[in-house]
Amino acid sequence: MTVRRTGRMPWAHRLGRAGWAAVLVALYLFLLAPILVVLVESFDDATYLRFPPQGFTFDAYGQVFANESFRLGIQVSGVTAAVTALLAMIAGVPAALALTRLRFRGRSAIEAAFLSPLLVPHIVLGLALLLILAPIPLTDTYWGLILAHLGVTVPYVVRTVSAALMSADPRAEEAARTLGASGFTAFRRITLPAIRSGLLSGGVIAFLLSFDETVISLFVSGQNTVPLPVAVLQYVEYRSDPSIASLSVLLVLLSVVVVVLVERGLGLRRSLRSG
Amino acid sequence: MGDTPHLVLSGLAKTYPGADGAAVRGIDLTVERGRILAVLGPSGCGKSTTLRLIAGLVAPTAGRIEVDGRDLTDVPVHRRDMGVVFQSYALFPHLDVARNVAFGLEMRAVGKAEVKRRVGEALELVRLGHLAGRRIAQLSGGQQQRVALARALVVEPSVLLLDEPLSNLDARLRSTMQDEIGRIQRETGITTVFVTHDQQEALSMADSVAVMNEGRIEQTGTPQDIYERPARPFVARFVGRANMVEGTSRGRDGERTLVELPGLGKVPAAGDPVETGRPATVMLRPHRIALAAAAPESGGARGTVLSAAYAGETVAYRVRLGDDGPVLDVERPTGSEASHGPGAEVALSWDPEAPRLVADPS
Repeated sequence: MTVRRTGRMPWAHRLGRAGWAAVLVALYLFLLAPILVVLVESFDDATYLRFPPQGFTFDAYGQVFANESFRLGIQVSGVTAAVTALLAMIAGVPAALALTRLRFRGRSAIEAAFLSPLLVPHIVLGLALLLILAPIPLTDTYWGLILAHLGVTVPYVVRTVSAALMSADPRAEEAARTLGASGFTAFRRITLPAIRSGLLSGGVIAFLLSFDETVISLFVSGQNTVPLPVAVLQYVEYRSDPSIASLSVLLVLLSVVVVVLVERGLGLRRSLRSG
Repeated sequence: MGDTPHLVLSGLAKTYPGADGAAVRGIDLTVERGRILAVLGPSGCGKSTTLRLIAGLVAPTAGRIEVDGRDLTDVPVHRRDMGVVFQSYALFPHLDVARNVAFGLEMRAVGKAEVKRRVGEALELVRLGHLAGRRIAQLSGGQQQRVALARALVVEPSVLLLDEPLSNLDARLRSTMQDEIGRIQRETGITTVFVTHDQQEALSMADSVAVMNEGRIEQTGTPQDIYERPARPFVARFVGRANMVEGTSRGRDGERTLVELPGLGKVPAAGDPVETGRPATVMLRPHRIALAAAAPESGGARGTVLSAAYAGETVAYRVRLGDDGPVLDVERPTGSEASHGPGAEVALSWDPEAPRLVADPS
């Protein structure tokens, strides 16, 4: 009897793989179906939200940019998110350095404090921030929004930068010092490049989180500075038309574009995974 | 070269804040120009801290560091002019080989053309000229070690400091790099201090060896001094293998001290004399003891083989002296002489230089 060599896998094996693929597809469909519904609905020509849609038009996208509260909201959220991301990066690096490189009394308590905004419900944080910011008064201002957003974004920067620092050799900075670099030069020339991708992915996460932040913003914003998510909420309180769906699609696109750009250049996934 | 003190440590001590005891408890060391000093000791003995103190990476609690008579104790690390090769090599992963080596020169604001020339020379010195454009991650462990050496040497530091330079390499590469570091040190003539826990490395590479234990220097001397004339039991045990037999001094016998040892009778031992009647410890290296089948009527030291372990080039015996005396390790070369199985009665002998008196640390 001769053994036939074929490149084929045993049929049971192939069936198993097909089964796995089916499960994965079903899982992704379950996760993405709502977004798909929104995407389809964003091209409807009705003046109210309905599913399935009956017509096809790009009008809803035009309406997003025609709506002044949306335009202002995009501006408020954009500026807030950019400044928040920048400040979160500036604050996150020294915090991560201290938490990973120094040993001091209460280090783990401070580490826990840095991560606690991720655990406390945003509605509690929002209320607390309202009580603090109202008397200053910083409610309904850019700086109030930025301060509030920093609380929930700095922990992410601390995390991504700490992960990068942990995988970098602390002796490299010492080596630079022995070669004649001052403390600052050694940090800038050796440590900063080593944590660059962690820092930038932390910044991108901070930007996206801030741009998307709703609950806390709801508490600390007022009539003058209304970030986009709050503007959307106010809009759908009275109306529901496909322009909301179009706006949602645009927001998803923004996230995807930013993440893909960063992933291409920096390996966002890698720095998140090592965290 | 030689004989003029170049690096001098005096009373150097370091206690880390919050630590139980001192890491370094007041050490005095002198390294002559162009020589290699090995600081040898078990892990946690303070040898790495000593190296970091010299480099300026940690500040001493007490004591002085001088190079060429100049007090460097308070000079910050980046102005100290020490070449340091770290145990992990600590190369800069985002820079290529040439840029790694160039770093120290850039910090010294050396002109572009000269940087290029000196980086080239340094890479030739460590025989890596062909890899100048490589990324660090593409290099083997031995090549990374050479880059670290070139990076430290290119700035022509006054002293070269190596922290466990061979510990991250496999056995075969270790002996190659041992020769390479020796060659590079001879070619550059740079005063060198290296830290190691490996006694073979220390004995074969260094001009002098300082044996450290618990933050103190137990003994400083040439490799021969350290191995053949250990001043203390710790040195005898840590550097090479040693039988330590405790007995009582029975006075002088010419140049030597007679020591009454259990199972051996009176043995003449060289070394600092011990007063008659005082306890004395005698060291006997396992390979300096010869074994022969015991003839029934012969005198001298006799014993019974407890075990014999074949190890290729040598056989390691455990021999009990007399009927209930101490157990000695004996190491004999294979091939040239008869072997002895467990239970065999053997006569032990050694040349008169072999037994050494070793003072107790008290």
